[in-house]
Amino acid sequence: MEQKKHWQSFGELNQSEAYHKDVKDEFREELPFVADESSSFLQAKAPRRDFLKYLGFSTAAAAVAASCEMPIKRAIPFANKPEDVVPGNAKFYATTYVQDGDVISVLAKVRDGRPIKIEGNELSPLTKGGTSARAQASVLDLYDTARLRFPTIDGKETTFEAIDKAVAGAMSGPVVLLTSTITSPSTKEVIAQFLAKNPGSRHVTYDAVSYSGMLLANEATYGKRAIPSYHFENAKAIVSIGADFLGTWISPVEFSRQYATGKKIDEKKPEMSKHIHFESVPSLTGSNADEKYLHRPSEMGAVVLSLLNVISGQHVTVTDEKLKTGIQKAAKALLDNKGAALVVCGSNDVNIQILVNAINEAIGAGGKTIDWSVPVNHRQGIDADFAKLVADMNAGAVGTLLIHGANPAYSWFAADAFKTGLAKVKTTVSFNSKADETTELCKYVIPDHHYLESWGDAEAKAGHYSFIQPTIFPLFKTRQWQDSLLKWSGASVDYLAFLKTYWSAKVGGETGWDKALQDGVVNPATTGNLSGATYNAGPVTAAMAAVSAAKKGGKLELVLYEKIGIGAGQGAANPWLQEMPDPITRATWDNYVIVSPALARTLLNIDLNIGGEADAYEVNPPKKVVKVTVNGKSIELPALIIPGTQPDTIAIAVGYGRSEKMGKAVVGTGKNAFPLASMQGSTVSFTNGEVTIAATGDTYPVALTQTHNRYDTAQGVRTEVMKELTLAEYKENPTEIREDREKELKPWGGLEKFESQGTIYPVYDRPGIRWGMSVDLNTCTGCGACVVACTAENNVSVVGKPEVLRGHEMQWLRIDKYYSGDMDDPKVVFQPLMCQQCDNAPCENVCPVAATNHSSEGLNQMVYNRCIGTRYCANNCPYKVRRFNWADYTGADSFPDNQKGIVNDVVLDMNDDLTRMVLNPDVTVRSRGVMEKCSFCVQRLQEAKLTAKRESRPMVDKDIKVACQQACPTNAINFGNANDKDSIISRTRVENPNRQFYVLEQLHVLPNVTYMAKVRNLEEEAGEKKEGAHA
Amino acid sequence: MHLKYESQLREPLVNGNKNYHQVTEDIIRPIEAKPARLWYIGFYIAVALLLFGVYSVYRDVTYGIGQWNLNKTIGWGWDITNFVWWVGIGHAGTLISAILLLFRQGWRTGVNRAAEAMTIFAVMCAGQFPIWHMGRVWMAFFVLPYPNTRGPLWVNFNSPLLWDVFAISTYFTVSLLFWYSGLIPDMATVRDRAFTKLRKRLYGIASFGWSGSTKHWQRHESLSLVLAGLSTPLVLSVHTIVSFDFATSVIPGWHTTIFPPYFVAGAIFSGFAMVQTLMVIIRKVFQMEDYITMGHIEAMNKVIVLTGSIVGIAYLTELFMGWYSQNKFEGYTFWYSRANLFSPYGWSYWGMMTCNVLSPQIFWFRKMRRNLFVTFFMSVIVNIGMWFERFVIIVTSLYRDYLPSSWSVYYSPSIWEVGFYVGTFGLFFTCFFLFAKYAPVIAVAEIKYVLKTSGESFKDNMGDIEVQQVEAFVHDHAH
Repeated sequence: MEQKKHWQSFGELNQSEAYHKDVKDEFREELPFVADESSSFLQAKAPRRDFLKYLGFSTAAAAVAASCEMPIKRAIPFANKPEDVVPGNAKFYATTYVQDGDVISVLAKVRDGRPIKIEGNELSPLTKGGTSARAQASVLDLYDTARLRFPTIDGKETTFEAIDKAVAGAMSGPVVLLTSTITSPSTKEVIAQFLAKNPGSRHVTYDAVSYSGMLLANEATYGKRAIPSYHFENAKAIVSIGADFLGTWISPVEFSRQYATGKKIDEKKPEMSKHIHFESVPSLTGSNADEKYLHRPSEMGAVVLSLLNVISGQHVTVTDEKLKTGIQKAAKALLDNKGAALVVCGSNDVNIQILVNAINEAIGAGGKTIDWSVPVNHRQGIDADFAKLVADMNAGAVGTLLIHGANPAYSWFAADAFKTGLAKVKTTVSFNSKADETTELCKYVIPDHHYLESWGDAEAKAGHYSFIQPTIFPLFKTRQWQDSLLKWSGASVDYLAFLKTYWSAKVGGETGWDKALQDGVVNPATTGNLSGATYNAGPVTAAMAAVSAAKKGGKLELVLYEKIGIGAGQGAANPWLQEMPDPITRATWDNYVIVSPALARTLLNIDLNIGGEADAYEVNPPKKVVKVTVNGKSIELPALIIPGTQPDTIAIAVGYGRSEKMGKAVVGTGKNAFPLASMQGSTVSFTNGEVTIAATGDTYPVALTQTHNRYDTAQGVRTEVMKELTLAEYKENPTEIREDREKELKPWGGLEKFESQGTIYPVYDRPGIRWGMSVDLNTCTGCGACVVACTAENNVSVVGKPEVLRGHEMQWLRIDKYYSGDMDDPKVVFQPLMCQQCDNAPCENVCPVAATNHSSEGLNQMVYNRCIGTRYCANNCPYKVRRFNWADYTGADSFPDNQKGIVNDVVLDMNDDLTRMVLNPDVTVRSRGVMEKCSFCVQRLQEAKLTAKRESRPMVDKDIKVACQQACPTNAINFGNANDKDSIISRTRVENPNRQFYVLEQLHVLPNVTYMAKVRNLEEEAGEKKEGAHA
Repeated sequence: MHLKYESQLREPLVNGNKNYHQVTEDIIRPIEAKPARLWYIGFYIAVALLLFGVYSVYRDVTYGIGQWNLNKTIGWGWDITNFVWWVGIGHAGTLISAILLLFRQGWRTGVNRAAEAMTIFAVMCAGQFPIWHMGRVWMAFFVLPYPNTRGPLWVNFNSPLLWDVFAISTYFTVSLLFWYSGLIPDMATVRDRAFTKLRKRLYGIASFGWSGSTKHWQRHESLSLVLAGLSTPLVLSVHTIVSFDFATSVIPGWHTTIFPPYFVAGAIFSGFAMVQTLMVIIRKVFQMEDYITMGHIEAMNKVIVLTGSIVGIAYLTELFMGWYSQNKFEGYTFWYSRANLFSPYGWSYWGMMTCNVLSPQIFWFRKMRRNLFVTFFMSVIVNIGMWFERFVIIVTSLYRDYLPSSWSVYYSPSIWEVGFYVGTFGLFFTCFFLFAKYAPVIAVAEIKYVLKTSGESFKDNMGDIEVQQVEAFVHDHAH
């Protein structure tokens, strides 16, 4: 074919000159490349030849300028390698957590010279490795920026020599040593020496929340001013009248462990203890009880009396029908289990405690569930002694007052009387380690070491010794208070030498002492021989009369209670404890007035039974403020509506409203409720029968971490979330839970085939290690020790109240609480929830950058430095366990110094160089904008694998304990390799399959955390319960 | 294509007795004149809003996403609501230019240029949200699958968010090309009329040396068809993929198979509403009543009532399935968290129902469809409704999902969250004002193209011509 030439323009056709020029010149106009030397660079057209030069210069200049602002961090290496320090290897030192009378044997984990974590000491027969939230959090107190850093006279810094001299000169009689309960035998010796040196001196023990009612009652009936050992593990029937023994009563860690023994249920032997609880205000213990009955605080005596009457074959005297049934049931349970029954009571009234002793005698508790041969030392204070001291001070009969541990200017109900008295004391010395309310008023302040810097010992109960050894060189110019006493009593030795001499004689010389320090504990040689005590029924009649004659309560009554984390104020300055949600109210950073739903209807105009009102109450953090007036003293606090509160009772937690000198954490958190207590007879009463309350019209935001508390909704009960049943049901049909699950999974092949038929994707084998966890909801009490342990282990950020209010809390592990049944008196269940490490994790496939992915060992792992923070994973997590770094909580941001004004002072304080010493170097500190979540303590797993590898053996259970599991006082959490047939986790799953369930199993996310359904020891209510749960 | 015959009964697409020159004059004039006072006021307000948005984003980047009121339960709030809302709006332009082109809908010529511009700007606004909602936006490049030195580290192709990255960037690129290729002949017209050297130079660059030769026109036409073919599936796919962000999740209220068609219908619905809002203003301000006729307005109102009804059916289907599935989690989300007016977010659901389903039904009446005030009012209402829809889907599903323990406190946006949204309005209108000032808001060439078949005068003439033979008609008038 002929090639046609198509011309495109007349120019081309005519082959004009212009056309040729156009074709030749690609660029028709002149290119702008002119280097005009005369004009300045900015005016010049782009200097082509110099372009790269300029580019290079400006880039380099920017880089240099930027790097000039890099903060300089100094790390000073060891000049010589210390003999026994391997960088990166943790050391564990046995020591003892002692706070006032609380004693828990612990191990301090020390990394590179810094204690960073508290673990329970498994050698202690009392706690067997269990700890409490407060013990877990105590390591943070060591690095508290508000600790006193040097001795002072009148607030001015001085030296130890000067202050010793000054005190020696100023000390004039009568000398009084005021302390909180002392559990240390050697310290008692030191005190004895000191008192002997100062004729006319005395030692007064003061407990903010004392057990003097009990001590005096025991003195009256058993002739011993002491508290016996309780053995909940031996009790088949437990009746508690207002004693929160799992939370705050005497020795909760020990009691929790004992209690859990009775609650642990085995499929082969489905038996458990029966716990009936009487209370006015919901407590942790009441929430765990099988049956719970509500009474007015003023009725406590009547309840005890009625119980005693029924047990001795008479009639109930209380009139309330429900309560009457409860008392009858309790009496029956106690009598049916004579010799294996126990009654405890939280009252501080001598007469009531005498009646409780009478009941315990009648049911044969002595020698069985109560051991008088081993009295406990946790609380020794007698309110009347202290009241007398205050009177003496005011009368000018005290010349010198030395204070250690006690803080009556805050916690004594008549603090003003104490303060005026203190002003009349010539010489006042405080050994407290912080500028608390009392220390502020003292002339001489010689701050004590933190226990992790101290030497010492503690005797939790007779014959059970626990030792304290320092784990770090004292951070500040502080001195152990025993040293001061020894010095002032003219002793030639210091406390360490004293202690060593004291113990070497008892434990077999130097070797024995070393072993005692290494183990941390010395236990009595023989155990198991429990014994009762000679009982004197004499005071009972008088006590009965007194209790019957007790004043009836008015329209509304008040209860002051201790929170599990804050206690009587000891935990108030600790951000970890402030941010730990209260197990009952799920609130953080505040105290408040607890009111019942019934009272809320009239007082606050909120009816939780009306959907809209309940929603409005739940979703809006500002709560209505009420004014509570007792004895002319008023306090204004927000009101929280807590189901399960007795309708005529309100409650306020003590321990809040501390002096701002205690630290950043106490600023703006709550108000002091101690002034609302009063002296009733010879003891301080934390209840009051005459209270007025009124709404003020204001609101105040309360930082709740859980707003909705029921898992039944208009659309039905979310049994996939939480499963519980009664012992009767369980005995009748042990496989009920399994059948439930079978039913839920039926559309996808049922239990057996669910894994393969619930998905369109192929199923993979999972050989090798497969990490799994099992949580027994029957033994979990909801105490929260695991929550703080997790915070400490994993460097979880504290975010402060404003951020919690916005739902920004960071805890990786939370304890969900649900109510079921009647709004006014519901059943409560706790469910610890951490990342479920799903095998088919919904978070993983939505991450655009694969920052969260699955390990071959079944871990859902989070790669922080890959995360870009889209938050899609958190949205798609059905368990909502993922936590996002909304702001720079850690100071680890790429934008330095931008925390001020964004996060509050507590968070800034947590990022102080001192406080940061608590960080676990094995765990990355997360920066702003990344997601984080429970990792199953992957750093511990790695360590365990390496240990096993180094020893050339397979990894076994004992190599590994994750932080929550370690902290748990009841062993409710099991963890291990689920592919290893011999591991506890597989055995738990194989041997007790019937109660086992997965949360939201039908979603086919295949979690690796199993839960064991909660069983309540209820017989007769089986049918009724079923209806309630499945309606 | 050129031998198009249009019935006398059809409304003319161009009113007035226009000839080609008049068309050019009418449309290009505003570009050549000094902007009106109103333009300056509007432009400065838009820039002010934009600057506020920039500051809001600055705070979010510098201090963290905590500047917004999202929380552990509600990980997405206004950010993704606004993202989906803007993407939805960005659907109308391409639909008009691509699908209606393929369907030979002549009336598209009056509105396609502005609608496409709106699409581009809306997608630009939409794109801001997924970028700046990231916790670590400086690492945003991680979402791009490029060979890197981080070992075998690659993006996660399973993630719908990654699909979004591809879908939206593709859509934006194709829409931009499509819009700009349509703009070339008109830019050339402006260039040819230029009265200053600078204008000539700039518009010369912008028109890529368009000479109006037949070859240029032929290529232009082919390119338009190819791009239309490419864009058509994109119109459907973009919002389908956006809906996958939700549909592929496990959250009750998100995990719904109905989402793709429902989202696409909703997108067209909101897109047309936004076009209406802008058109009503443009035809007034630029006196374009002859080009954007009541016929155009009515046609778009018809699309609005159709798509509004489709989303209405989708809403009802969801409600039905919430009950019929007997899935209590889904039942709770649909019947309690949403449909219950007295639940915390009940107002947003009923706001959505009122704005999207009930009120557009007014367009069943011809009189209403042709009423400018009603049209303008409704177009705003629909976009409010569509914003509610996205808010309802995202927030009411998240705030109360599986575990009651994690149910959220009431979420309302912080000032910086609102600021970011307002800022995207600033961006949108800044771009739109610049566009309206510097580019022909109506496709001149395309109007000319339909002028002889659908212009008013030609239609009038056609009455006489109809009696003649088609052959003669073609002979006389085809060129």
